[in-house]
Amino acid sequence: MVKVIGAAIIIFSASMVGWQIGKYYALRPIQIRGLLMALQMLETEIVYGATPLSRAFLQVGRRIQAEIGQIFTSAAEFLLTKEGLGTQECWQMALNRHLPSTALRKTEREVLAGLGHVLGSSDREDQQKHLRLAATHLRSLEEEARAEQHRYEKMYKSLGFLGGLLVVILMF
Amino acid sequence: MDKGVTQVKEISTILPASVRHILSALPLAVRENIEEIRLRQNMPLEIRYGQLSSYVTPTGQLTANSRQGWVFTEEQAGKLINQISQHSLYALEEELKRGYITVVGGHRVGIAGKVVLERGEVKGIRDLTSFNIRIAREKKGIAQKVLPFLLEAARVHNTLIISPPQCGKTTLLRDIARSLSYGSEWASSRKVAIVDERSEIAGCLHGVPQRDVGPRTDVLDACPKAVGMMMMIRSMSPEVLIVDEIGRQEDSDAIWEAVYAGVSVVCTAHGWDVEETTRRPMLAKLIQQGAFTRYITLSRSSGIGTIQGIYDQALQPLQKEEQLWSR
Repeated sequence: MVKVIGAAIIIFSASMVGWQIGKYYALRPIQIRGLLMALQMLETEIVYGATPLSRAFLQVGRRIQAEIGQIFTSAAEFLLTKEGLGTQECWQMALNRHLPSTALRKTEREVLAGLGHVLGSSDREDQQKHLRLAATHLRSLEEEARAEQHRYEKMYKSLGFLGGLLVVILMF
Repeated sequence: MDKGVTQVKEISTILPASVRHILSALPLAVRENIEEIRLRQNMPLEIRYGQLSSYVTPTGQLTANSRQGWVFTEEQAGKLINQISQHSLYALEEELKRGYITVVGGHRVGIAGKVVLERGEVKGIRDLTSFNIRIAREKKGIAQKVLPFLLEAARVHNTLIISPPQCGKTTLLRDIARSLSYGSEWASSRKVAIVDERSEIAGCLHGVPQRDVGPRTDVLDACPKAVGMMMMIRSMSPEVLIVDEIGRQEDSDAIWEAVYAGVSVVCTAHGWDVEETTRRPMLAKLIQQGAFTRYITLSRSSGIGTIQGIYDQALQPLQKEEQLWSR
């Protein structure tokens, strides 16, 4: 009896691990999508509304959910409270705080970090150009992420379960 | 706390931490008299205080040797721009076209750098490298000496203040606006409208005056004078209209419009004295046709804000030279 329970626990936890890894692959394209929406909103705020950056960040943060929105909310908070710090530093601090808890990879992080150098420091046309460039970049990464999701999400999920099964069979 | 220091404090919120630190190390006597902080990329930090200019060393000492001055780097310039623009340079396109930015407290930051042209017109400034932070000082109460000449029965005289640059005409104009708006025991308060084309009189930030211009004052910020005067007459029914630096033909039309509408106009013009001003074609016409009933001329013969004279409609002097305020 104890054996059966142990086996069940092993299979369950192994599938959970696989499921977690699979979820990571599923989350990445969703979060990139969120980022794309955020950049689109930011572009509207900046180019058409000429909204100050901190307020634009807050708007975006309020409308984009979860981790991605939090990056913008924190950045706005830093811009407003950290006197004497540059835009880039505030943005970077916000990224450092929230990126580790996202499914985003180094490539996306680099695109975001690059934005810090240009956000708010040039005229509208220039801002638009940079935001669009970043969006194009992210779009290609999104495609890549979707392809990976197709390939690996199911695989890791079943791999977890099967791995657990294998251990159980070996134990018996 | 001394007023001068408060204003320097206000300004320091837009400065990068390093500049702020150096300025706070300056002797108090210098700090409370700072008029301008001049920052140029890769050049030493310069301040103007009183009538003097000096470089500042990294430890907050004054020096005449440019090599010893603390050098303002490109990185610092970037930070300063971030702070001045509240991280949103794109929101300041109009200001960049004019070449200066008004910040909290009504202080102004003059800027220079690489100008971007579009079809031969200035579109903005890119690569900002020179900053001139001018600390705005208010001189409250200076209008008290001229007000008795400007008021007659219930009316305020149409007044032209004539002065060379840097003699305090905008400061006087602002105080006249404030005094008329507040009123006093011998002069009732009035509705005042200010058309502030260069954001100098009220120092507006997001439309809110940063200087005290009185409780009954409406400000039309950054609006061309002639258009603005018409708008104010139609929309805000002012009793007194305050305008800075008139000089173009359309200004003259607007002034007549105001005079016919029964609105008193107080305005300023560049010039050395009344005689010289009467030679300027557009002003001459206004003067000859009697648009103005009082003239005040300023000079700096005994310091900024010396009243050279006050004249009536026929250019007869009413008051001789007098010092408005001392430094």
